[in-house]
Amino acid sequence: MKKAVIGTLFCVLGGIAGCAHNPPQELIEARQTYQSVSNGPAAVVAPAELHKASESLVAAERAYQDDPDAQRTRDLAYIAQRKALIAQAIANREMESRRKAENERYYESKQGEMIQRVKGDLNQTKARLAQSEQGRREEAFRHSTALNQERQARADAEQKAAEADKRSKEMLEALDKMAQVKEEERGTVITLSGSVLFVTNEATLLPNAQVRLNQVAEALLSTPDRDVLVEGHTDSRGTESYNLDLSRRRAEAVRAYLVSRGYAAEHIRAEGIGKARPIAPNSSADGRANNRRVEIIIQPKAKSEPR
Amino acid sequence: MRSRTSNIGLLSAALAALALSVACSSNPKPPTEQLAATTASERAATEVGATEVPQAALHLQLAKEQTEHAQLLIKKGENTRAQSMLERAQADAELALAMARAEQERAAAQGALDKVHELQKSN
Repeated sequence: MKKAVIGTLFCVLGGIAGCAHNPPQELIEARQTYQSVSNGPAAVVAPAELHKASESLVAAERAYQDDPDAQRTRDLAYIAQRKALIAQAIANREMESRRKAENERYYESKQGEMIQRVKGDLNQTKARLAQSEQGRREEAFRHSTALNQERQARADAEQKAAEADKRSKEMLEALDKMAQVKEEERGTVITLSGSVLFVTNEATLLPNAQVRLNQVAEALLSTPDRDVLVEGHTDSRGTESYNLDLSRRRAEAVRAYLVSRGYAAEHIRAEGIGKARPIAPNSSADGRANNRRVEIIIQPKAKSEPR
Repeated sequence: MRSRTSNIGLLSAALAALALSVACSSNPKPPTEQLAATTASERAATEVGATEVPQAALHLQLAKEQTEHAQLLIKKGENTRAQSMLERAQADAELALAMARAEQERAAAQGALDKVHELQKSN
């Protein structure tokens, strides 16, 4: 009897706390689990699920108050505990999902950085390649320019040579018309008759000689870099020294005249040969006339003496 | 007299049978809807791989055992008890499903982290 009263008292007191008897194990676990879960991330990331768990627990508590010993109370408590665990699992899932998204974002940003860096490297490499290519092209251009210049120079030289040949030929043709021109080992030899150029026994040029020499000078000026030798020759009459002197003076006169016409003095020499090299017998008047002469020798280029 | 007694006995037996059948019919109908809902939840949990996640597999197992138990109760006509048992089973099946999904997400997050580490290592 006394025990029943205490029990009733406990019930009244416990009614406020929602318990009259010792609650079933299921309800204890449900309360603990809900407590623990609601203190976790579920409150923030799975509030709907936590709310369902809460409603489930309230239903279990109500059943417990209605009938503490009923199997249904235990079942509802069991279900409430599962609901709390479900809220927990869904919260876990949400947390993992956020972690995954964060990792993926981080991965993408890292990858983006890497791609940017690789792109940067690639651009640098490209720039370097382009530079070296540019350098190579410029080098090739310089090379081809030099080649072209060389080719041009060669073409110019060939053209000049051709022109010079042509001028020489024209000159020789011109000389042929007014004087005897012979190609000899010592060069092109122009022979002018002494009687045409000079008064007998004099070294003064006749006015008519100047006209002839003008033509010679003109021809010579077409090849101004040749060395020219002017030789005076006599017949065998008279003394050796007289003939040498006369022939030297006559050669000198011709040389002076050619220089006065513009031929370079350093390219032209005069020599008196005298009667030493006749080209005809001195026994006849014709032969002696031929021997009295001035020879202008245009020396071959190869044999020209260096200045 | 003897036969009468036996008649009374038969009658009382018949009455008892009737009373039992009335008691049975006064029970709610078998919880077929709840059974369908519970087995659907179990299937869903199985489909997301609950059997491969230890904690989830445990709860799925509990769900199945309770469902079997509920089916026995239905055969016995204890439909109210069966309904409650099936509700418990469904809560376990749903928990198994939620746990399996959480694990899936955890593995995916770990995979993403591994990729990050790999990226950092390759750099």
